[in-house]
Amino acid sequence: MDAVKGRNISFPRYAEYNCAFRFIIEEAIGAKYIMPPAITRRTMELGAKYSPDFVCTPFKTTLGSMIEALEAGADTLLMTHGLCRLGYYGELQEQILRDLGYKFEFVNLSEYDMSKKKEYIRIVRRLNPKAHPAKFLAGFMEGLRMVEYLDEMTAEYYKNCGFDASGGEYKRIYQDFLTAMYTAGSRGEVEAGYRTAKSALRRVPLKKPQRPLRVGLVGEFYTVMDAFSNLEVEQKLADMGVEVHRWMNVTNHFLRFSAEKNMRVKVRDLCAYEMGPTATPNIFWAREWAERGFDGLVHIKSASCTPEIDVMPVLQNIGADYKIPVLYLTYDAQTSDVGLMTRLEAFYDMIHMRKRVL
Amino acid sequence: MEERKMVVGLPRAMLYFRFRILWRAFFEELGVPVAVSGPTDREVLERGTDLAIDEACLSLKIYLGHVDALVGKCSHILVPRVSNFGRHRNMCTRFEALPDLTRNVFRNTGQKFLTYNVDVLEKKKEEDAFLEIGQALGYPVRTAKRAYKQAKKAELAYRKAKAREQDTLCRETGLKILIAAHSYVIEDAYVGRTVTEYLKQAGVVSLRADLADWDAALECSQELSGTCKWEMSREILGGIAMYENVVDGIILLSAFPCGPDSMVNELVTRRVKGVPLLNLVLDSQTGTAGVETRLESFIDIIRFKKGAL
Repeated sequence: MDAVKGRNISFPRYAEYNCAFRFIIEEAIGAKYIMPPAITRRTMELGAKYSPDFVCTPFKTTLGSMIEALEAGADTLLMTHGLCRLGYYGELQEQILRDLGYKFEFVNLSEYDMSKKKEYIRIVRRLNPKAHPAKFLAGFMEGLRMVEYLDEMTAEYYKNCGFDASGGEYKRIYQDFLTAMYTAGSRGEVEAGYRTAKSALRRVPLKKPQRPLRVGLVGEFYTVMDAFSNLEVEQKLADMGVEVHRWMNVTNHFLRFSAEKNMRVKVRDLCAYEMGPTATPNIFWAREWAERGFDGLVHIKSASCTPEIDVMPVLQNIGADYKIPVLYLTYDAQTSDVGLMTRLEAFYDMIHMRKRVL
Repeated sequence: MEERKMVVGLPRAMLYFRFRILWRAFFEELGVPVAVSGPTDREVLERGTDLAIDEACLSLKIYLGHVDALVGKCSHILVPRVSNFGRHRNMCTRFEALPDLTRNVFRNTGQKFLTYNVDVLEKKKEEDAFLEIGQALGYPVRTAKRAYKQAKKAELAYRKAKAREQDTLCRETGLKILIAAHSYVIEDAYVGRTVTEYLKQAGVVSLRADLADWDAALECSQELSGTCKWEMSREILGGIAMYENVVDGIILLSAFPCGPDSMVNELVTRRVKGVPLLNLVLDSQTGTAGVETRLESFIDIIRFKKGAL
């Protein structure tokens, strides 16, 4: 396949998925991918500075990341569509960046009708007119497989890393796995990186009690997954010695969407209709984990996230019905984690004491 | 016997202001009495604030206050789910969640709620939705269908009349200000009326962007924003595009923290040039002095610009 010259595509930082975006852009589409720098305080400050005040936080984070991508040499920005305010991010972010004076091409998926397969071909052709269909498909499928591996390893990591008896081996293997994914240039390297890490993790000795504290995370799609945005809440809980569970990730939400449709059956008594983009799985898993005897739930969202605010009354009812503590965390563009730490410690102490009493 | 006691409660908030003609005509055709909650006051807002999640928008707090005022007084309370009318014709996700949200908040009251579901992308049209209510209340499909048709006719006639009214206002002389706001913000007795009353008393002709001819507005909205996906925001954007050249100023009126408005109003301030803009965000504050000061200075600026001050 002929690579397209002079096109440097970027997509804002989103959890650890940028390794898969890079793989798809480079291996499937045949353009160059500009990796935006990891999100830092500066990213947040940049984003917040140019964003409207009471827009949800991921808008600010992704805007900041776009600016940093442009500074790093991107000339084409890609932005997704979405079911909530996310679907309108692109147009406003483009306007803000143009008003600031940046020069770039903007590919906004909201301008395409993403329910039609033909539109995907149009987008690929726009990014690289010479893209080869068969090679695109192969690269795209491998990119999706990378997403699956990433989600599988991340889930396993947060379930176990709090019980690592080797003094840091578990974390190191996971970090190595991420590095392998970020640098993989072929299907073979993706598969090898995954297999090496998978078997290495299995060899690390774990000191897990028979009935460890188990906490389930539900919440808004971006903040619940993006470690910078949620101030590493999963790592913090795990470090206290908690088994951290989170169902919500790209694999489960997009690649296995039919499972989600079927979850409606079991939560019909709590919500008769779909309440928002991620309402059904959040409600389903909150109750499922409560029924499975989890020790606590954490609901994570960005400030003023409408769909997740609307789910909260249902979670409150689940909390009352199953007597399970629910910690509600709302994240704004804050950059200090002292307040979060205090709340997590209090939450941990509470569920720990309950476990001993009950 | 149950039939005779049937009263459907309509909370005077949110979509009531958009669909009241349709709802009232529909139930009237069916012969079902309706009860509408009173205008919003401090008490309604406080009750709603207690019931809602802190971060929810002012409009939802008011809505829950109105539902609370009707609980126990009606056999049913109408809480519709309106998700979309097609692609790029969505409603805020809050209108998707409203029935389940309300049921969860009021689950211990034993109150019965009446719901219908409009979700054109999932092949649920408005007409089907109204047949759903007819069925839930025990009316044959044909009766419900006829009632819906009649109600829809009444609604269209009302909308047309309102759009004509706006066009007449355009031709008035004197200072003209366009208010761009959701109907449930501008028409709310506790929130928007402060603004409209003040403008009236200041001798300003106020137009409303959301009352412009809807079909024309949906099309005109494309001039201002190509991917705006919220039906009501598009109507307002269209109204702005249609009237921006005939008015002396535009007030973007929004209830804190409205999701769509947080973005759409930002876009408007970046794309609408040459007309003075006032971005007014209303919260549950008591007292109207702050709002009045801002309106006063806005009007002064416009008059000063025109050389009339």
